[in-house]
Amino acid sequence: MKSTELDHQLRVYSDITQLIAGPQNPTPLVRLNRINPNKDFQIYLKLERYNPFGSVKDRIAAEMLKTLEIGDRTVVEPSSGNTGIALACIANAWGVPVEVVIPEKIPEEKKVMLRFLGVKVTETDDALCPRFPSEGARGLVDALINSPATKDSYVSPNQYENESNVRAHYQTTGPEIWQQTQGKIKYFFAGFGTCGTITGIGRYLKEQNPKIKIIGVEPSSADHKLPGLKRLTGLDEEYIPKILDESVIDDTVEVTDENAYDTAIELARKDGIPVGPTTGAILYVALRYAKLNTGLAVGISPDDAFKYSSFYEHVLRTESQSDGGGI
Amino acid sequence: MGETHDLSGFVCPLSKIKATQAVDNLDEGETVTIILGDTDSLKSVAQELKSRDIKLGFEQEDEGRFVLTVTK
Repeated sequence: MKSTELDHQLRVYSDITQLIAGPQNPTPLVRLNRINPNKDFQIYLKLERYNPFGSVKDRIAAEMLKTLEIGDRTVVEPSSGNTGIALACIANAWGVPVEVVIPEKIPEEKKVMLRFLGVKVTETDDALCPRFPSEGARGLVDALINSPATKDSYVSPNQYENESNVRAHYQTTGPEIWQQTQGKIKYFFAGFGTCGTITGIGRYLKEQNPKIKIIGVEPSSADHKLPGLKRLTGLDEEYIPKILDESVIDDTVEVTDENAYDTAIELARKDGIPVGPTTGAILYVALRYAKLNTGLAVGISPDDAFKYSSFYEHVLRTESQSDGGGI
Repeated sequence: MGETHDLSGFVCPLSKIKATQAVDNLDEGETVTIILGDTDSLKSVAQELKSRDIKLGFEQEDEGRFVLTVTK
């Protein structure tokens, strides 16, 4: 076999990063049959866990690293886990040094995975710095990039400002959804985080059909347990991700942690799909829409349940206490 | 007089992290000199030390260079 061989049909690859999804190799779109009672509002989930490093962030990490001028510097990025894991895997495959700065509150499973990958991990308090009052990880990376003593040693993809983040979704996830639904999609649901997903996919879908509704999901409180999501309502303008294109957003709906976790658990039990709590939040909103609307809807499922077992354990402990704890 | 940590090449929160580490390494009653290079760092470090009830002396050498004398 040639070293550059790539065959999606036989699934032969010369480099793990070739498995990252694209229009020729899309992640699955799966219809939800039991959790959604409205047959006239079909909900499909785009299961991004089927990317090689386990999340939607695989797409943007590859796109950002491809366009980054790294030189002799170390790549550093703030991440609630998924971007860090994707960057680490790709950087390892390409022989690039990488460090990740994470908020303390992310699940232990993600911290272990980053260390497993050999990445230098720095945990930060969210209230670390008045310059970034609620996002210590972003603040610390910003300081590494801007301090005279360290700026020549580090380079950051900066997923909050990097147009590659939007482009990855505009060129891959958006076209995949359009093809997979044969242009029948009427509603698209995604969370606000770095805002690359909702901007890139939303822009592509609106260009195909301006009537498609793009619905953004945010936590109901700034202090939440939905890693990767950000509450934009009430946020100072300077902290809103620069890549967000608000013109593609038709509606913003907030979700509590409880509703998100309960929906994710219900999905696993009714449709057999184990997803992370962010998917629970997005699906909760899609199910609310299902009560009043008709048509075909797609929700992004950024990752799976396995990275959050310690978070789910807290919810399930309450459940087992209330039902008497089984046998 | 104790050690001097010139952190003027670090902006906040790196300066705060490094200043905190320097103070954490002190024994009770020991003094350290910390040099900071911007007002954000100064505010952040001073706030952190105040919250720990740690005494500090402050002097501005020139614009953009602040010298803190910290006694644990």
